[in-house]
Amino acid sequence: MKHRIAAIILGAAALTAPALAQPSPLPLPAPVEKELAAHAANVTEVTLGKGMLDFAAKFMDNNDKDQVAVKQLIAGLDGIYVRDYEFDKEGQYSTDQLEQLRQAFGTPEWTPMVHVHESKGGESTDVLMKMVNGEPHGIFVLDAEPKELTIVLILGPIRMDQLSELKGLSGLSKLGDIEKDKHVKDKTDDKGKAGKGGDQ
Amino acid sequence: MNRHFWIPLGVAALCVLLTAPWWVVRAAGGGGFDSVVNSIETRYHEHAMRIPLMGLASVIAGAATHGGVGGVHVAEFEHFSAPVDGDELNRMVEDKLGQGWERMIRETSRHGGEQTLIFSHPEGNRMGLFILDLDGAELSVVQVSVDADRLNETIIKYKHHDRGDEHASD
Repeated sequence: MKHRIAAIILGAAALTAPALAQPSPLPLPAPVEKELAAHAANVTEVTLGKGMLDFAAKFMDNNDKDQVAVKQLIAGLDGIYVRDYEFDKEGQYSTDQLEQLRQAFGTPEWTPMVHVHESKGGESTDVLMKMVNGEPHGIFVLDAEPKELTIVLILGPIRMDQLSELKGLSGLSKLGDIEKDKHVKDKTDDKGKAGKGGDQ
Repeated sequence: MNRHFWIPLGVAALCVLLTAPWWVVRAAGGGGFDSVVNSIETRYHEHAMRIPLMGLASVIAGAATHGGVGGVHVAEFEHFSAPVDGDELNRMVEDKLGQGWERMIRETSRHGGEQTLIFSHPEGNRMGLFILDLDGAELSVVQVSVDADRLNETIIKYKHHDRGDEHASD
């Protein structure tokens, strides 16, 4: 009888364990998230899983070019996660916390694309891209300002040319900046190439 | 013992059996919209204003959108003056909504009285949405079940209708 009860308990545990062991969709260190939220004056958290993105896509107007672009973009995504922390004063988060956030994406599949650090203003921006078979399958943006910290994580196949279409979503305005920066970079590169071409 | 005794007893037993699930849910604190509103009332000593004939309004909304919108629940707290801890409110709503509800959006301000919580709950073809919004002294709690396809059909129909009117006026 004891063996039967033990077998039932083990069986139930085996069935429920995978459900309990499911990883969090947002691979950020939970303690850091809590610490940041505890010190922030305003916190915005957006968690849109695949189900919600599919649901939202249904409301996109197929006759509107912009909405069609957004629909195409979000249709294949696995999730959009945004965390925005606004602080009353400077120094409410540490460089150690920033480093922990960066380290969460320190795996080989994540490639650093942009790392800008202004020592004078204390601002920094990190953009990492998840590459799968040479295609972007995720983007992580960490934007740190003295009184504001923004984290954007988009998982799933991404078309970079359509990324800025998402900037209208809450907390995703940083994506517009990335696209803008990309254009500026492209123009600079073009000028550089033209200059080089002229030299040749 | 005659049938005058057994019939009322049988009816009483049947009533108990039929209402048992409801009592069990009540005793366990329940779940869903009413449970959240009741918890807010108890915790913050505020009284919610339930919209009269909301059930009828929900049925009309469902008919008008061909089933696009249903299960509408609304509760308003006016002159909400109690200080709110965002984390505590979030935990309370999560506990009372029960399993299957996932938080989609949370905006919370530590100093001001601004809190927004939006939860979603997939229900087959439908999506349950629970929205709590505290803005100053007004706290609104809304729950609605949406069928995106049917609601979108209705929206498109009215968009075309509006465009038709614009063309007619031109």
